[in-house]
Amino acid sequence: MIVKEWCMYCGECAGVCPRNLIEVRETRLNFNEEECKDCKICIQVCPVQALEKRDD
Amino acid sequence: METDILVIGAGPAGSTAAKHAALAGVSVIVMDKKSEIGAPKRCAEGVSKEGVEKLGIKPSERWIAKEATGVRMVSPNGTAVNLTEDKVKLPEAGYILERKIFDKYMAMDAGRAGAKIMVKTLATGMRREDDQVVVTAESMGQELEIKTKIVIAADGPESRVGRWAGLKTALKPKIMESCAQFEMAGVQMAEPDCIEFHFGSVAPGGYAWIFPKGDDIANVGLGVLTTITDKSAYEHLLKFVENNPATKNAQPVELNIGGDPVGGLLKKKVTDNVLVTGDAAGMVNPLTGGGIISGMMGGRIAAQIAAQAVSDGDYSQKNLKIYEKLCEEELGESFKKYLKAKDYLLSLSDEELDTIAEAFQDSDFETINTAEMVRKLVKISPKALLKLGKLF
Ligand SMILES: Cc1cc2nc3c(=O)[nH]c(=O)nc-3n(C[C@H](O)[C@H](O)[C@H](O)COP(=O)(O)OP(=O)(O)OC[C@H]3O[C@@H](n4cnc5c(N)ncnc54)[C@H](O)[C@@H]3O)c2cc1C
Ligand code: SF4
Ligand code: SF4
Repeated sequence: MIVKEWCMYCGECAGVCPRNLIEVRETRLNFNEEECKDCKICIQVCPVQALEKRDD
Repeated sequence: METDILVIGAGPAGSTAAKHAALAGVSVIVMDKKSEIGAPKRCAEGVSKEGVEKLGIKPSERWIAKEATGVRMVSPNGTAVNLTEDKVKLPEAGYILERKIFDKYMAMDAGRAGAKIMVKTLATGMRREDDQVVVTAESMGQELEIKTKIVIAADGPESRVGRWAGLKTALKPKIMESCAQFEMAGVQMAEPDCIEFHFGSVAPGGYAWIFPKGDDIANVGLGVLTTITDKSAYEHLLKFVENNPATKNAQPVELNIGGDPVGGLLKKKVTDNVLVTGDAAGMVNPLTGGGIISGMMGGRIAAQIAAQAVSDGDYSQKNLKIYEKLCEEELGESFKKYLKAKDYLLSLSDEELDTIAEAFQDSDFETINTAEMVRKLVKISPKALLKLGKLF
């Protein structure tokens, strides 16, 4: 997952991830990419569109 | 490190839980990943006076930015219905807080009551050990393990902690308002002592708000459901600010964003050794999105039950279960009504909202009763009444 520079670490993406894969630190997001099922719900809810799926 | 009760999250719910658990005489640690409790704010900062009083908190001018004595509801074409604070019981009507200070004050109260506070400390996981729980955490580059009898998960809308314990705290996007807000200066409000709500397509699945904080200062924001709009909350906000007469010449001094869980109380809020409270347990008014007071109420109940369990020496789900019943009584019943009201509001088209606002704008809410309201509704919009009837 690409986290854009303007992410504000609000944690909304983490709250909706059905697999609990997003760790929100004060100024960093960590994704457990291996477990990610690519449902894109986290991308959908972000109030500032700060997430983008990385092209593999 | 060992403690009786570990509270994860020092928002209003967590600090309240920590304070009341400490007052009950058990050992308490409360941790938050933030370096500054309360910042950044993710809130429009409105609370009811009644709620503050019910929590036994003495109002302080240090954390009250303004008193807001009325509520102004604005329909899509700009028709406004004004209500006084005593006519409409909303969790946001009363005081507009300065949450960066309020949250800190609540944490300070927890500290004074005897809780140990750890800032810049992130909980990273949890495992069971015998009849207790070990929480792993990171603080300033150090890895920690804290052994505790009970965890109170007050980690807000992220709600990850409950899931580590097997509770289903994940939120579906259809019940998570995606919110964006500016704190602005130069706002020209029609009624500077009222909190203002704007309904309709301006905020699909939610509403927009203007909450006054000072002469020309206000929190201007909105929440949307991303299941019914392609635009982000931020894009909707820019449009709202540009088109609203009160804000089009105002300037932002702060941008706030965040999620607000509006689906009602989480059903299962406890498991062995763990209670979930605040936003993490859905303790947010589903109609308004207000969760400060209700989260603190939940936090207080969680503390009482957890402290009792510590003195019983029984941290099992069975012994903690009463928490769910008490939360249901304190919050759940009213939330069910608010959920229905929200469904009704969201089912109305912009035209229906305008017609209703036009019919009620001159109503004297001192004297109008429910029967009269229904009669008016039948006259102006039978379709809107039909939608109402289907819900109740
Ligand atoms: C834009 C917006 C406007 C709102 N306006 C209002 C309003 O006007 N009135 C109202 O009553 N409510 C409002 N709300 C809702 C209100 O902000 C919340 O209901 C309230 O903050 C909930 O309190 P809480 O303590 O449960 O959670 P939070 O305040 O979110 O606190 C949770 C804390 O947990 C910490 N945390 C999370 N994970 C970890 C971890 N792993 N380790 C350590 N710490 C962790 C976080 O840093 C945070 O400090 C609004 C919400 C939004 C998004
Ligand atoms: S929802 Fe968006 S802004 Fe908020 S933490 Fe996630 S990516 Fe960042
Ligand atoms: S795409 Fe889905 S599974 Fe992957 S991190 Fe986002 S919400 Fe979680």
